[in-house]
Amino acid sequence: MNNKLTTMAPWLAYFLIFGSLIFVGGDHTIHIASQVIILGLFAIAFNVLFGTTGLLSFGQAIFYGLGAYITGMMAKSFGGDFFVWALLIAPAAAIVLSVLLGVLSLRLSDVYFTMLTLAFAQLAWGICVKWSSFTGGDDGIQAIPKPELLAGGLNYYIFSFVIVTACLYLLWRLDRSPFGSVLKGIRQNPTRISFIGMNVFRHKLLAYMISSCFTAIAGGLYAGIDKSIHPDMFVWTMSGSIILMTILGGMRSFFGPLIGVAVFILLEDEIGRATQYWSFVIGAIMITVVLLFPKGIVGISRHFARLFAKKGGQRDNP
Amino acid sequence: MTTLELRQVNKHFGGLHVSKNITMGIEQGELTAIIGPNGAGKTTLFNEITGYITPDNGGIFFNGVEITGAEPESLVKMGIVRAFQVASLFIDETVYDNLCLAALAFHGKNWNIFTNRSVYKNVEEHCRFILERLGLSGKEGLKAFELSHGDQKVLDIAIALTMKPKLLLLDEPTAGMSPDERVKMTHLIRAIHEEFKLTTIFVEHDMDMVFGIADNIRVLVYGELIAEGNAEEIQKNPAVIEAYLGHEVL
Repeated sequence: MNNKLTTMAPWLAYFLIFGSLIFVGGDHTIHIASQVIILGLFAIAFNVLFGTTGLLSFGQAIFYGLGAYITGMMAKSFGGDFFVWALLIAPAAAIVLSVLLGVLSLRLSDVYFTMLTLAFAQLAWGICVKWSSFTGGDDGIQAIPKPELLAGGLNYYIFSFVIVTACLYLLWRLDRSPFGSVLKGIRQNPTRISFIGMNVFRHKLLAYMISSCFTAIAGGLYAGIDKSIHPDMFVWTMSGSIILMTILGGMRSFFGPLIGVAVFILLEDEIGRATQYWSFVIGAIMITVVLLFPKGIVGISRHFARLFAKKGGQRDNP
Repeated sequence: MTTLELRQVNKHFGGLHVSKNITMGIEQGELTAIIGPNGAGKTTLFNEITGYITPDNGGIFFNGVEITGAEPESLVKMGIVRAFQVASLFIDETVYDNLCLAALAFHGKNWNIFTNRSVYKNVEEHCRFILERLGLSGKEGLKAFELSHGDQKVLDIAIALTMKPKLLLLDEPTAGMSPDERVKMTHLIRAIHEEFKLTTIFVEHDMDMVFGIADNIRVLVYGELIAEGNAEEIQKNPAVIEAYLGHEVL
């Protein structure tokens, strides 16, 4: 009973916060919240590789950009009604691409895998910038049409909230599934995984496909926020900020990355209004968290919860 | 019936000849010890049998089927399972979850993505049985890193047993253990060998244990199999005394 409550508490908080914004949020808040849930999906999908399986991909932006460009370009060519269909094609395309890249990169050990994923994403960015007749080059794509129903900021937020929630639910199921246990096992001891009869590479590949698929959905959704996309969605700083946000929030907890994204974006918004040196402040916060609390914000709160629980216990037994 | 057969197995690491023309047969139900000084190639031999490394030439056969160069995971499915010299665990997980992962793999549930792993009652029963049988009940909630060295080795063997092996290979099961733990481990190995009707091969330095429980002993020196026989034969074998010890202390 109590155990059930602790597992459900994060979901409750999630629905309370992001659900209530539908009713109370102003235009600016809704805009920020849309970014938080969409990048939150990106970060949680990334964490399937990073926190769970122990694979540091430095190039997940390739799937984010792919999702955004497929959605944006299809809606632009075939009209706003096609926007929602494009959101289904984007993850399918990401799965195909992830198989190709995964087969090439997942057999390599840690740092080589990381460098190769980075190289693939930079390659995609290069193509996107140079092939301007097809992709719009440096300018990206503007005025992406959407179905009328999703036109307003609030409507689009509700739409994104529903899709992100469904995706998070699936990823949450995965985290608690037998397959999720295998991924955690691969992180801790891949040799033992093969000596209990499982193929490490194939499990990694499926994890990579799943992570990339949900990342493309996030990218596709992002194309609808400002109705504009740009090649920077592919670039390495995009992958890098997702890694930072994930570490900031806590990579050993399911909702940790979402918390990291929320804190990061709120800080960027608040401090960015006060000073143009906001990235300096965020850098200082990042260093503090990584040095003092390597388990991230979730780690900090768990630490204090335990302290509090201990003090409570002492009162009972003087 | 011969469970495991090695024919002329050779392996070089650079200039080092670590397996020299090793030929041997292990009968079904046998409890075999492999002894030899450090660097004799005992662990290498285990690695060759379990698919971790491939011999340069020669053949390895399991129940008559050639398995030379097969991947560890397919050998595990055939029933060749090992435990490690340094306990190989999922160190951040609980004792129960360590076994649960092995049991999920054994029951072929590892590809299930969206089901909660606690729904598989047969997996749970399987884990409970192993926990109880190996004396780990009561410790199932501890994280693997919280266990004593001895219990970590027991858990390592428990993971192997969860895979229902036909051929079990134990690499120095008592390494680094206290005398008390050694005695317990010795009894445990003999007991599970008989109870699970296993063919067991173990590498060991503790001669009391080797002579106490092994049906058959093979002696490996500088990659070469120099003798095999029961405890008495091995203790009297002049080649063993000469090459392995240099003088008679056995």
